Amino acid sequence: MRVSRQQERILGGLRLALLALPIAFVVFFLVAPLALAFAISFWQRVGFRVRPAFQVAAYADFLSGVRLFVLERGLLVAAEVTAISLLIAYPVAYLLCFRARRATARLILALFTLPFLVNYIIRTFSWSWLLERTGPVNRALIALGLTHGPVDWLLYSDFAVLLGLVTSVMPFMIFPIYLALGGLDRRLLEASWLLGAGPRRTFWRITLPLSLPGVFAALVFGFVGAFGDSAVPIILGGTGYQLMGNAITSTLDVLNYPLASAMSSVVVLVMLMLLLCWYAVFDLRAFLGKILRWRV
Amino acid sequence: MTRTAPAPRIVWCLLVLLLAILYLPIVPPLLFSLDDGQGGLTLRWYATLGSNPLLVSAIGTTLLVALIAAAATPVLALLAAMAVRELKAPRLILLLTLLPLFIPGVSMGLATALFFRELGLPPSLWSIAIVHILWALPFATLIILTVMAGFDPLYLEAAYMTGANRWRAFRDIELPLIRPGIIGAASFSMILSFNETVRTQLVQGPRNTVQTYIWSTYLQVGLSPALYALMSLLILATVLLLGLFLGLATQRANRPQ
Repeated sequence: MRVSRQQERILGGLRLALLALPIAFVVFFLVAPLALAFAISFWQRVGFRVRPAFQVAAYADFLSGVRLFVLERGLLVAAEVTAISLLIAYPVAYLLCFRARRATARLILALFTLPFLVNYIIRTFSWSWLLERTGPVNRALIALGLTHGPVDWLLYSDFAVLLGLVTSVMPFMIFPIYLALGGLDRRLLEASWLLGAGPRRTFWRITLPLSLPGVFAALVFGFVGAFGDSAVPIILGGTGYQLMGNAITSTLDVLNYPLASAMSSVVVLVMLMLLLCWYAVFDLRAFLGKILRWRV
Repeated sequence: MTRTAPAPRIVWCLLVLLLAILYLPIVPPLLFSLDDGQGGLTLRWYATLGSNPLLVSAIGTTLLVALIAAAATPVLALLAAMAVRELKAPRLILLLTLLPLFIPGVSMGLATALFFRELGLPPSLWSIAIVHILWALPFATLIILTVMAGFDPLYLEAAYMTGANRWRAFRDIELPLIRPGIIGAASFSMILSFNETVRTQLVQGPRNTVQTYIWSTYLQVGLSPALYALMSLLILATVLLLGLFLGLATQRANRPQ
């Protein structure tokens, strides 16, 4: 088929437009809305409507009242959840990458995917039943003679919230670490061994530093999941337990859009800062490992 | 060298324990949905699902949105993956495509809800679908990128050399080879759409999906056996779709090159 120069230019433009479509989609339906929410956080509230203005009333409201405590607790809980999840996810990823056959590793990774995909609200309901005073966990503990009466701190407590959040973000953190470990050049490990380093020294000096991009990606995933969650604190935290997620939804229930936007924007800014650190410090290639072999 | 060194048995036991803890919360809804209240088994609760008009319309919405997400997301993801490969600034493109992963659900739902309101677009099937597509896009793109990495660009060179244009080379050579990735992306998008609540709840308006129906019923009147039946159906749908996805993935792995 012969194509004239002009047709070629049109086809080229069409191809570019098609390739740019997903980026335009994300910019229009995500970046623009986030920017708008940030703007609305400075708007004025008139009855149940908002009017463009520039005032910091919403932020003053946010940072002065009990909501500041919610922010602090949200950051603390998210940090705890991320740390605990990392301590579980790293060994799992390491085990699957270095100590398992490839087929076994794939199977186990698939097994970790399923609970992550089943709606986390359904899983959270189940935990609230499993952990209640007369629930199976307490009955099992009593039957085993580990406690005399039912344990009260299992449900509606920090423990329940941590358990709910760790079980929902941890499986997802395994994947970036596994990818980073899988993309690591094994000749370096052999070189370290040949030069006389023991397995422990090789791990601390070679494996761990080279897997840091994956670790950082996992940290961001875990932090995003734990910091923004809104169902776990409602179901497992009990009455009055607020984290940023459900604090935002309850602010929305009273139609205070500037305040909800201010709280949400603070959350988003925290995330974007983490993301920018990651983008600046690490190469995406390292996180994606072998996925990207081309010139990224 | 290290790959074959066997791990101590205790480590595998811990791994099994960890998986058991993760799978534990999937079991209760299945049990409750079959419980007839007198210690016997029944399918009664599943039968009552059809008689609730609110729920029937919610199921309709869920299926429609899931179909839209499963059809649109892989196309966008494929384009995004090709843009990463072929345009300048691939890191930036990848970062933008993965951005929805880094925005907490509440913030994404709130921002899009306010955005649609300011644009004067009433909540509809499409607003739900857009949010689901956004949420599924990073996952779908990563799946397609993974499959594309296994595709040797030399095949495309060969096609160009034998006179094919870009479109022909893509349609006849690359597309058939990366088809499993596209089907995988579609099934993954559908799974994510079935299981999404927080974002949906903020943009749905008067409509409900099955997930937001469960959530709002829980907040208003608490859980019932019928809701457990509904949850069980969602879990089964997720298992079936994931099975389909993994089946395709292993088929690809076993295919002789």
